Amino acid sequence: MARSKRAATIWLAAAAGMAWAAPPAGDVTCATCHPAEARSQPKTAMGIGIELPPDQETLKAHPKLTFEKYGYTYTIERKGGTSMYTVRDGAGELTLPIRYAFGVHMQTYVFDYRGRYYESMVSYYPKIGGLAVTLGDEQRRPHNLVEAMGRETPNSEITACFGCHGTDGVSRGRLTLDSLKPGLTCEHCHAGADAHLQGLSQNKPAPPPAKLGAMAAEDMSNFCGQCHRTWEFIVRLRQFGEMNVRFQPYRLANSKCFLGDDKRISCTACHNPHADLATGSSSYDRACLACHTSKPAQKVCPTSQTNCVTCHMPKVERAEGHAVFSDHQIRIVRPGDPYPN
Amino acid sequence: MFLIASCALAVPGARAATFEELAAQADAARGADHIPQAIDLYRQALQLKPTWPDGWWFLGTLYYDSDRYAEGEQAFAEFVKLRENAAPGWAFLGLCEFETGEYQPALDHIERGLTAGGGVQPEVEQVLRFHEALLLTRLGLFDRARQQYKPLVRRGLKDTALIAGLGLNALQRPMLPKEISEAERGLVIAAGKTAYTWMAGDDAKTATAFRDLLNAYPAAPGVHYFFATYLLQSHPDEAMAELQRELDENPRQAGASASMALLLLQDGLAAAALPYAKTAAEEQPANPLAQYAYALNLSDLHQTIEHLEIAERLDPLNFEYHMALACAYAKSGRHDDSRRERQTSIRLAKESAPDGPK
Repeated sequence: MARSKRAATIWLAAAAGMAWAAPPAGDVTCATCHPAEARSQPKTAMGIGIELPPDQETLKAHPKLTFEKYGYTYTIERKGGTSMYTVRDGAGELTLPIRYAFGVHMQTYVFDYRGRYYESMVSYYPKIGGLAVTLGDEQRRPHNLVEAMGRETPNSEITACFGCHGTDGVSRGRLTLDSLKPGLTCEHCHAGADAHLQGLSQNKPAPPPAKLGAMAAEDMSNFCGQCHRTWEFIVRLRQFGEMNVRFQPYRLANSKCFLGDDKRISCTACHNPHADLATGSSSYDRACLACHTSKPAQKVCPTSQTNCVTCHMPKVERAEGHAVFSDHQIRIVRPGDPYPN
Repeated sequence: MFLIASCALAVPGARAATFEELAAQADAARGADHIPQAIDLYRQALQLKPTWPDGWWFLGTLYYDSDRYAEGEQAFAEFVKLRENAAPGWAFLGLCEFETGEYQPALDHIERGLTAGGGVQPEVEQVLRFHEALLLTRLGLFDRARQQYKPLVRRGLKDTALIAGLGLNALQRPMLPKEISEAERGLVIAAGKTAYTWMAGDDAKTATAFRDLLNAYPAAPGVHYFFATYLLQSHPDEAMAELQRELDENPRQAGASASMALLLLQDGLAAAALPYAKTAAEEQPANPLAQYAYALNLSDLHQTIEHLEIAERLDPLNFEYHMALACAYAKSGRHDDSRRERQTSIRLAKESAPDGPK
């Protein structure tokens, strides 16, 4: 008894010491204590977020892209360290440099044209290795070169774009693109990380940022939904129908198995934000089986215990089939059922 | 025929008329526009046969046309007992109650009139929607009232009563047009005209109308709050200053306090938001926006749910309250309640108009 008590005391003291111990002298970064996350996260889609010239890998890999739609011809051509976006009709043309390439796989471009921001009318889709109309713009019909170039985006929208795809590009609701850093840095999600680092550098007590993994599903959906759109945001904007398949927190919250107070159905139960998205259909079985086990009172799938997502999270095609999304409204899908919500 | 009926009634000791005779005489009197006699005959016939729905219906309409609303209310109440799905019966019952000042049952019955059975004719529906909007305003349910006014404005209706109703709604005065004091009539009409221009979607004229309203009534309670609701959509950055002006003039304006709390909360300033939210809920506990703002500012989940449920009961058609409840229930482990609220939110969002003043 006394021995085990002493062991516990030592363990607690050691644990406390580890938590508050100063890191090695010198520059302190997140990588000092979290090397694995610091190594992998910047290479993920969220870590990259937006490509700025000259480091625009997708555009470098595709030095010339062309596309025609509604009587307009689009060309993206690499010249020096910059890709130029040109739209032509029979009478003229408009050429702009691509300063902001949003996304890593699918890519949409943002232009600063005559003091206003425009989202490109066409985007790059890896599935076809080329350009097609930007997701959400399928119904737009341009009437002139400027409209064909892109859609003028209101301030609230463009600040949201830069706020989610980069760091320090928005301050107090206004664009601050001179300080824009591509992708999400640690502080973006882990509020307080910078103060934590600063404290550690000065050998002062520095409480770490809140542990996001401790959040229950509802809170985490709202947290990730700040960029991936919350359930409330989609309802408020009445974005119903297949268009909302892109907004995973909304879809997930509508699932019968979504339990807001349970971590087992939270975003990070399936996805590691510090690593690339797992694409194998069996990768997510572990998360499903965390609840759907053979224990009494748990529903077990009578068909299979593997590749759950292939049946219960059907793929939905958008943008004329160029973009495919996994529907996060987890459910028993029956043939002929309409798309729910 | 009518003369014969009158004579028969007038002769003492004469054979008592049968129900069929009285019913026929009542119908004839009504057809001849002899209203007092018709009322009397219907009442006699109904004494003999109280399960005669047509009798209660015609008696009710005759009372209504004679401005005898309390008696009309009793007749329509008997009618709907016999014809539960008759929308016009509920509608007239509600309209009678509106006139007798029984506002909550009036609202309930007018809304039932709009939904029961096969509904009512378009002209009647318009009248009911207008009364519904007036009642919602009278009961302090300003947001819901605004939703009812919108289609009326978009249909191009424009008369003094509508403008007065819109003005009361815009200024958040829980009263009916007939209750407006002479001193306030000019202000209410000016606010109503501004609200009308805004709802009609004339952006250029709306800005001018607001400027004129503020110039004419810079210190009137409700004016700055009304302007702030407009700014929330077009210039949200400026809305907070306008809310503060309202609270400087009118510190007990619960809507302004609640909106200020929500804006501060949105900016992550929870500590600054809480006093505004608390004041709003204390000043006007029956104001759903105040309850909602207070709920969102509370850290205790059970208290949050308690106040959200109050907001939802006060304004069950506002999907914002259902959405907040869905999230709160989810966090507290009330999964079935959360699912129900999510479904309700989605249904109400689909049903409600996506554009125009909210």
